[in-house]
This record gives sequence, C-alpha cells and structure tokens, in this order.
Amino acid sequence: MEMIYKVSIERCIGCGKCELACAFAHGSEGSPAKTRINIFHRGPEVGTPVVCFQCGDAACAAICPTHAIVRNERTGAFEVDEGRCILCRMCIPACPFGNMLWDDAYHRVAKCDLCGGDPKCVPFCPTGALVYVPAAEAKRRPEPLVREAV
Amino acid sequence: MSLGKEMGTQAGEKGGRMLSLSVDGKSVQVREGAFVLEAARAAGVEIPTLCHHPALEPYGGCRLCLVDVTRPEWGGWCKLVIACQFPAEEGLLVHTATERVVETRRVVLDLLLARCPETPLVQELARRHGIEQTSYVANPEPTDCILCALCTRVCDHLGISAIATVNRGIGREVAPPWGEAPPDCIGCLACAEICPTSCIPYETSEGSRTIWGKTFEMLRCTRCGRAHVTVAEADFFAGRGGVPRSYFELCDACKRKEMAATFVKLSRGAAGFSVGA
Repeated sequence: MEMIYKVSIERCIGCGKCELACAFAHGSEGSPAKTRINIFHRGPEVGTPVVCFQCGDAACAAICPTHAIVRNERTGAFEVDEGRCILCRMCIPACPFGNMLWDDAYHRVAKCDLCGGDPKCVPFCPTGALVYVPAAEAKRRPEPLVREAV
Repeated sequence: MSLGKEMGTQAGEKGGRMLSLSVDGKSVQVREGAFVLEAARAAGVEIPTLCHHPALEPYGGCRLCLVDVTRPEWGGWCKLVIACQFPAEEGLLVHTATERVVETRRVVLDLLLARCPETPLVQELARRHGIEQTSYVANPEPTDCILCALCTRVCDHLGISAIATVNRGIGREVAPPWGEAPPDCIGCLACAEICPTSCIPYETSEGSRTIWGKTFEMLRCTRCGRAHVTVAEADFFAGRGGVPRSYFELCDACKRKEMAATFVKLSRGAAGFSVGA
C-alpha cells in the first residue's frame, strides 16, 4: 500500500464533482445519490466529504458471514466480492461511520474500493481536497485553501 | 475484530499444494481440496449450475454440473460425476460436453421443467439446452421452488437454521418447523435474496417486516427514526466479529452526518487551520 487516499476537508468547496464521478464510475446512473463519497454542506461552498476509511480493523469485514469483504493488498482498499455476498446487508449497520451503502439500482451493497487503485473522484476535485498520494506525502498537513482565489 | 478464514473451499486461496488437471483439453491448476467445478471455471469452461454458491458448501442438489471424468490409465473407462462435489485430482481428465454429459443434463433439465413448468429461469435454461417443453407430465400444481436449498443452506451458514427442507419425494419442500412461524428466524431476508427464482415471499416496510409467517419489529435509527434492520437481526449480529450492539443504533446516513461533524470539530482544533463556515 504505497499510495494513500487523502481527504482534506479544509480544501473542500462542496462542488459535488466527486459524488458525480463516483456515481458514474460505479454505475450507469450518474446520479449523485448513487455515490460512495458523500459531501455534507456546512455553509455556502464549504463541504465535508465522508468516504470509507479502509479501516485497519474493519467492522464491515469482521461481521460479514461469508468473508465477502476482503482487503485488496495492492491498494489497501476493502472490496466486496459480489459472488460471495449473500445480501444479508449486515455490513451496513456494522460500519460505525456509515460508509457501507445500499445500492438500490444494482441491488448490492456498495463501498469505496478506491476504483482498484485509480480513484476516479480525485482528478475531478478542483481544489485538491481529494488526493491520491504516496504515503510519505499523505502525512503532511494540507495547505489551507485561499477561498477567494477559487 | 479478526478475520477468520475458515472457509477453505475457494480456488486461488493461499497455501496448499497445487494440482494440475485437464478440462476439455485445457490444462489448469487448482489448489488441493478444490472441486472440479472450480477447475473448470478457472479454465474458462462454462458449466451450468443452479444450487452452487461460492460462499456456501457444495450441495450437489441440482445435478446440472455433471461432467465425465477419466484418467489415462483407466483404458477409456469414464464416469459421470457432479463437478461441484468431485475433488480435483492430479492428472484428472475432465470432459464437460460429451454426448453422455449433454444427454444426461437434458434429462435433468427436462425433469426440472416438469416440476417447474412456469418458472422463467428453468424455462430459459431448458431452452438453451434445446428443450421447449417437458417430455414428462408437467406438474399440475406448478411451483417456482427448484429445491436447490440455497435458502436453507444460507440460513444454516449464518448459524440460524430457521428453515429446512421437509418431507420426501414429491412432497419435499422448504418450510419452517411444523409450518409455523419459525422461532429462530431473524428476518434477515438472506433466504429470499439468495433464491434464484425469487419464490420466497416477504413484505418489508418502514413499520415491520414479514417472512415465513413471522412479523418482525424494525429497529429505528435513534436520531432520524428510519427503520433500517429488524431488532432480531441487530440482536443476532451484535457481538459478531467484535461489532458492538451500539453500532446498530444510528442509520448509515446519520452516522455519516455525525462523522462529518466530527471532522469539522477535529479540524477546528488543529492550530492555524480554518475549515470555513
């Protein structure tokens, strides 16, 4: 796991492009409601993106009765093996952060899988609130956004 | 929370000796302990199945996955086996489309179509094998249940075992004990979800959920009031994998909202950083 998906709420302007990119990347709807990253608006042009943390000790994977949620060692992301999933949906209430979702359009559970190592939301983020960077770089505190300049 | 990996029936898992065998002339390697069906799928050979599920133990109920197996030293003798329960062996030669296999599979489908003459899944599968109508007497009381037992097995796998197949012969069916509301059922709907012909009826709404004649109280998010799981589900799953019951109190949307608020709070606490309004 060399790369880290880093979210800096300090830089989010709540534009919702990541939600749309996510919805398109994982289905054909392209509806912001089908996203696996959710922005909470806390004022005009300020948002807080909430997305799976890929926990070290993940409740979704721990509760899954068929071991259908498995960490991809290459990307570090927990991925749902839809072949093994029995749709008991227990991972949804088990996630303490609410990042396990039900996808009604495709009738499946859904979570951020870092798009297999190429998170599609990242290139759409105009302010660098979402970045996919080497682990060493991810440790650095984010630069505050000069909002007037955006 | 630890991830127990006791399920050892999947191809490609770590450890174990690898076996080489041939499926329709394609050589393929599978882990020792794997079954022929896995080897065939690894070789890219399609074998029809109805009762197989990657997460459940093989059952051998539908008999559709039958194949011919032989070995060079058997002098041309071969035997029909079901791929989902026949262990892969070093040097085994598997044939999935011999005349005998195709014909026997057609008989199985013909009989299944006689049992379930109105079931689209069975009709489609039969049609793909050249059967438009059953050559047997079609069931006068058509059912959609193909007796694949995926429902009972998934229930067993969860450790609930609220339903089972009961009776024998033509009277065999899936039912809760004595046909009454099953006391062990938690209303998780895993049986209804896994059913390939969607023939397990249930009703679920904001207020309650009913399946197998049992009505369940829904657990409501303590913040927004949305019903997200049954109380019985939460009680059953709480503690599993170290997940506490308290995790079930809020719905996923409220948990995300709470998480967003926590981020803002933490960020404000960081010296010199502003998160805006």
